Parts: sequence; structure tokens; C-alpha cells
Amino acid sequence: MLIQLAVSGMRSKLKDYIVLLAGLVMSIAIFYMFQTMAWNTGFIKENAVINSIRLVYGVGSFLLALVTFFYILYANGFLLSLRQREFGLYMMLGARKEKIGRLMLIETIVVGVCSLVIGTVLGVLLSVVVGHLMSNILEIELSGYYPLYWPAVLFTCLFFGVLFLISAVWNRLRLARRQVLQLLNGNMQADRPARGGAARVLMTIAGCISLGIGYFCLVFMEQLRELGLLTATVMTPLGTYLLFMALLPALLDRLKKNEKRMLRGMKSFTFGQLSFRIHGLTKMLATVAMLIALGAGAIAGGLAFMNNALVAAESSSVYDTQVHNPNQEQLRLLNSITFTERLEYHYKVDHEMLYFVQEELESQRPLIKEEYNSKSWNRLIRIQGPPPAGSSWNGDYSPDPQWNQFLLDMTPNDQPYGEYRVVNKQQFEELASKEQRIVLGKTADFLSYKAKWRELDRLEQEKLDAAQSNWTVYSKFSIYENYLGIASGTVFMGFFLGIAFLTMMASCLMFKILTGAAKDIQRYQMLRKIGVRRERLAGSIRHELLLVFLFPGLAGLSHVLVGMNLFSFILVEPYYRIWVPVAIFTMIYSVYYLITVNLYQRIVLPGKE
Amino acid sequence: MTKPVIDIRQVSKLYGGKHENKVYALNNVSFTMVEGEFIGIMGASGSGKTTLLNVISTLDQATEGTVMIAGTDITRMKSGQLSDFRAKQLGFIFQDFNLLDNLTVHDNIALPLSLQDVPAAEIKQKVKHVMENLGIAELADKYPATISGGQRQRTAAARAIVHEPALLLGDEPTGALDSKNATSLLETMKKLNEEQNISILMVTHDAMSASYCRRILFIQDGRLVKEIVRLGPRESFYQEILGVLSEYGSARSSGE
Repeated sequence: MLIQLAVSGMRSKLKDYIVLLAGLVMSIAIFYMFQTMAWNTGFIKENAVINSIRLVYGVGSFLLALVTFFYILYANGFLLSLRQREFGLYMMLGARKEKIGRLMLIETIVVGVCSLVIGTVLGVLLSVVVGHLMSNILEIELSGYYPLYWPAVLFTCLFFGVLFLISAVWNRLRLARRQVLQLLNGNMQADRPARGGAARVLMTIAGCISLGIGYFCLVFMEQLRELGLLTATVMTPLGTYLLFMALLPALLDRLKKNEKRMLRGMKSFTFGQLSFRIHGLTKMLATVAMLIALGAGAIAGGLAFMNNALVAAESSSVYDTQVHNPNQEQLRLLNSITFTERLEYHYKVDHEMLYFVQEELESQRPLIKEEYNSKSWNRLIRIQGPPPAGSSWNGDYSPDPQWNQFLLDMTPNDQPYGEYRVVNKQQFEELASKEQRIVLGKTADFLSYKAKWRELDRLEQEKLDAAQSNWTVYSKFSIYENYLGIASGTVFMGFFLGIAFLTMMASCLMFKILTGAAKDIQRYQMLRKIGVRRERLAGSIRHELLLVFLFPGLAGLSHVLVGMNLFSFILVEPYYRIWVPVAIFTMIYSVYYLITVNLYQRIVLPGKE
Repeated sequence: MTKPVIDIRQVSKLYGGKHENKVYALNNVSFTMVEGEFIGIMGASGSGKTTLLNVISTLDQATEGTVMIAGTDITRMKSGQLSDFRAKQLGFIFQDFNLLDNLTVHDNIALPLSLQDVPAAEIKQKVKHVMENLGIAELADKYPATISGGQRQRTAAARAIVHEPALLLGDEPTGALDSKNATSLLETMKKLNEEQNISILMVTHDAMSASYCRRILFIQDGRLVKEIVRLGPRESFYQEILGVLSEYGSARSSGE
């Protein structure tokens, strides 16, 4: 009988249960997505550039498990809050506490099993879609990646099985501790005062220290290595949680106390809303901050590997292309490219010695790297000094390192000794051997002419093959392609994980906000009755959610910016074009904010009159 | 000497769509209320009294007829204008208080003023004044969940009058209160009406509450069927009300 009642009770709150189930399903699906990678050692080994990638996955798994743990506990707490009034009513009418407890247990397990089944299926589907999408966008072939991976299925089921069991027992304990009246009036609650001064100060200090240690480990990752990685993994989230819990309520209290501001328009209501629920929000917001850090960090990491291909290419040579003795087809192609700088020199080869024309070098002074190391690859200068008179090998040569750098780069592949002599125009013309030429070109953006470079390389290879040479094309573009080929697996993992973490973040925030919506409907209806315009209510919602989104967003980004140091021992420049992932993230986050606001307004605001 | 606060002409409210049975919640209702009056509307459940109140309070719209409140025809207003009108001209006391549980008593009362961007100093002074008037000054920093039902209703009353509305509307304001708290609230309303000349329109099915009014309109099946005016002491008015109620066969409803 009681079970029938319980089922009909669940049915009446179907909307809330759908929210709950959706939240659980998302977290399970994302956890599964992550596990398909973490357990697929073959794929990781084959595709990763990083040796300690296993460790990275271990750390990732740990963080995700931690976040999921809190998420599930919270979600099940929500389940209890949905039901407590009804359970209180049954108990008032004489149902025994043990019976209610068993009911709660069964319900938690049923919800758990349902979400586990749906979540795993969704996880497999998501893995297929994301895997397909990413390999298309990144133009890479994925070998050894399986969307349906049994060890991952097994581990996901095991992990969530244990979690649901724990939270079922936890709910039962909480139920047992409460009195009937507490259950009945569970919906009415007063604002809890902010944490006492001493506890708050202590938490703030502990939080600052933890975060400081975490950041320190991230910054000095090169020296600390594995130890640093592990310490940062534990300390950074710990610091984030402590600081959010200690500082957010205090911050809102301060904003609220500012009376002059508060008594204007909807502000008192907006801040009342926020501070009313901030205690329940702090942990969730800290979780969101961590997920943002992980998600944006993974995407930034992936992009950094991709950018590193460009860095590697750019540091290999200043000019985007150099073609020796271009044929008709090559010339046509070169002419179709908009170069910011196009140079053309003539040379002759005689007894393994190259001859350049002094006048040509003087009238077309080339760019070279300011220093010849990879760190300063993008600082270019123009050669100012006179071209070296004489040759590079005998005693009459006065060494000029700048010209030397440039002229050696220009040497054709089949001139292994790279010895050259700069002669004047007249001397050059007197040389008997055949005159050859070389075209150099630099564009404003190397990457926007990828197709042209590829075609140029193909034509060059044809030329080499026709000459029955053993050489393969060695160009800036081939370096770029090769590097990208090696890094593509890592880039894919970065994007895949980034999407997984950001989706988890979205589902966390969405869940948290939607679970509060039911109570808000009454509040907004009341405000409407006493004459608040719809636009003002909408404005208040925007304002409130903006603050909710802002804090974790900023914290997460700060983590990412510091955390990119993590890659400094594998990448030349982890911070190169860091604004790209930051911009991508900001865009996704903003769109997500707008969607949430819209959804929330639709739920809590009455329809147009 | 007095101008009308409410002037309702031939108002009807129809429920039901094209293919359903049409039901008149209000049927050709007309009445006028002048400034400073204290009017009660009585009727059985489903008689249309709450619909009438909703139409007057601009929360619902009449199908036919004109509704003038404080000289403004509200049937021609747009949604945003109606909101502003409610915020400036009307004060509400509901049966279930409708306080915001996330704001303190003080902030709840201050809300109508801060919504109109009244300067902070003026808000503080007005709220303080109204709280002292209603005897809830010491509750300022408490939250609605921690105070009693009677205190909540006083807070609601304070919020309803703090912006000095043209008209105070009560929807069963004593419905959720015990008789002691109900009496105290009604005395407060009477005081507000007599001393500050606030116009009050209250919907009730409780004869005791109604006996505090000066004039009572009885509504049945959407029509105004009788009107009585208090001439003597409250006790005899109470008897008179009971008499009318039994005449219309709805005396029971006071116990629902």
C-alpha cells in the first residue's frame, strides 16, 4: 500500500524527477566518456606525445570521481528534499519510520539503476558522436579508439553502484535523524547566519595556503615533476573549495550591508535571493570552478599542442616557402599567394660551391631570427650589415653570422657542403655554370594558405621524383604536418576531455539552478502581484545568475592560466595564443549563461498578460 | 466632498472557451466606492468574490465593462502599466501572507518603496514609522520563517500600506489567523481606515471580520444581490450580517 502511495507521489512530482534523472544521466555519461580513454591504454600509448600521460589520466579520473561524488550526494539530497514532506505526512498518519526508510532506500536504488542504464547508453552514443566530430574537425585518423569499451562500462557501473549505495544509506540516516515536524515543514527555512568570524578566518587562511601550494606546484612543474603534479591535484581543489565556502557568503554579506545601494530597485531582492541560497551554492560553485579549470584547461592544452606545430614550423624557417627553379605550375601557384614579402635571388653552382650576387642581396635584404633559439622564434629582424665578401670556407672570409644563417637556409638539399661565395654582378655573369634561381615568400598568416603549401610540396616532390632523386620534400609545411601528425592524438584527447568536463559543468550548474526554480515560482508570482514589471523581474534573474556564473568562471580561468605551466616541459610555448582557448571558453560560457537565464525565466516568470 | 476610489460599471467575467460551457464568474456587476470607505465583500465559495477582487486588483481582466480605480480606467492599460499601477496605487494583504522568505521583515516592508527607487533615507524612515505603528519594530531583522502567523500578517499589512496606496485590498486577510490575531489585525485595519483615511476593500466569508466594515456587498453567482450599511454598534451589525447570510443560505460557509 505504502509503495503504491509512494509511486503515485513520485508521479505527481514527475517534473522534478526528470530534472534529477537528467542530472544523474549526464554525470554518468560524461564519466563513462572519460573512462573510455582512461582505460584504453593501447590508444593512449599510441597517440600521446607525453610519457607520463597515464599519470595525467589517473589525476583526471581522481578529480572527476571527486566532483561526481559530491554531485551524487547533492542530487540525492535533493531527492530527499523532494520527498520529505510526503514521508512526514505518512509518518504523521502512523507509518513506521523503518518502513519509510526502506521506501527511501528502494527509491534511491531505483533512480540509481535507471540513471545508470540510460547514462551508460548515452555515454556510448556521446563517445561515438564526439569521436567522429573531433576526428573530422581535426582531420585526423583515430586508430584504436572504441566508443563502446567494456572495461569502461564495468568501471562506470561499479563506481556509480558504490556511490548510489553510499548515498542511499546516507539518505536513510538523515531521514532517521529527523522528527516528523521537521519533515513536514522542511520547505520553510530561515536564512542561516554566515559562518562565525573565527571559523571563517581559519578557512580563508587554510584555503589561501592550499591554493598557494597548488599554484606553486603548477608554476614550478618542470622542477617538481610527478610530485608537483600530485600535490597540485590535491591542493588546488582543496583551496578552491575552502575559499569559496569561506569567502562567498562573506562577500555577499558585505554587498548586502551596503544599504544605499541595496534599497534601490530590485537589488534587495536579488541579493536576498543570492545570500539565501549561497550556503547551498558554495560547494557547487567551487565544483563548477574546478570543472571549468579542467575543461578549459584540457582544451587549452589540446590547442597548445596544435599551436606547437606552428611554433615548430615557424622556428624551422623564417620564410613560408622557398622554391628552387620553379616550373610553370609552381610559378602560377606562387603568384596566386598574397605574400607580404617575396624575394628572388639567382645563384650558380660550381664545384660544390654556391655563388650569390652581391647586388641582389643588398637590394633585397632578408629577415632572419633575432636569436637562433626556439624561445624567441617569432622575433624577426632585417639584416643590416653588408653581404660577406668572399667565401665561407677559405681564409679571406670575414664571418657574418646573420648572413651565414640566411644563406645556409637557402642552400638546396643536394648541396651537402653548403659552401658559398658572394660575388658582384659582373663576376657572377662570367661564371660558366648554369644560372639558377630561388623564390622565397612570407605571408601574413602561414596557416591560411595550407592548401597552397600542400600543393607546392606535391609539385616539388614530382620534380624530385622526375629527377630520380632520393630526397623527399623538406619544407616549412612538411615540418608542420609531421608535428601535427604526432600531436593529433593528444589534441584529440584534449578536446574530447574538454568537452566532457564542460558538459559536466553545464549539467552541474543547470541542475543546481533548476532544482531551486520550484520555490522561486511563488516568489516571482508574489512580486508580480505587488506590481513589479516583468522586465524588472527578468532583470533581477539576469543579475542573480550573472553573479552565480561569474565567480566560478573567474576562478576557473585563473586556474587555467596558472595551470598551463603544466605543459612547459613538453611544449615550447604553452601560453602561445592562449587567448584562443580563453575566447572559446568565454563564448561557450556566455551562450550557456544566456540559455540558463532564458530557461529560468520561462520556468519562474508568469506568461505575458 | 469625496471622490470615488473604485467605480465599476457593468463588469462581467466569462470563463470557458468557444466550445465549452460558458460560466459567468461575474455578471453585470456595478458599484462605487468613495475615498475612506471600508467595504467588505461576502459570498459563498464560488460566488465570484475573489474574481471581483482580482479584477479590481488588475491581476485579472474583465470580459466586459469598465473598471476605474483612483480615476484611471485599468481595462485599457498594458501589462507594464498595470504593474506600475499596482506598485503605486494598490496595497495587498493575502490570506497566505505572500511574504518573501529570503528577505528580512524590514526588507519585505521596504520592497514596494525600493522598487520605486525612493531615496534610502526616506525608505528607512517610512518603514520604521509603519513598523512602529503596527507594533513589529523589534522584528526588523528576522526572517518570515522565524516569526508567528500573526506577526507575518502584520508584516504583510505593513508592506501593503508603506507606500501609501490609494486602495488597500484584502483577500481573506484573517483566513489563516486565530481569533486573537484576527481581531488584532482587524483593529489595526480599522485604525488605518479611521485615522489615516485609507480606503479598504476586503473579501471575506467570516461574519466577525466583516462586521468591522462600514458597508458590505453580498455576491451570489456572480451578481451583487444585497448591500448593507453599518449604522449602529459593531455587535448589532454582526447580527445583521448573520441574518443576511442565513437568508442566502450560506451561513455555513463561515465555518469552511
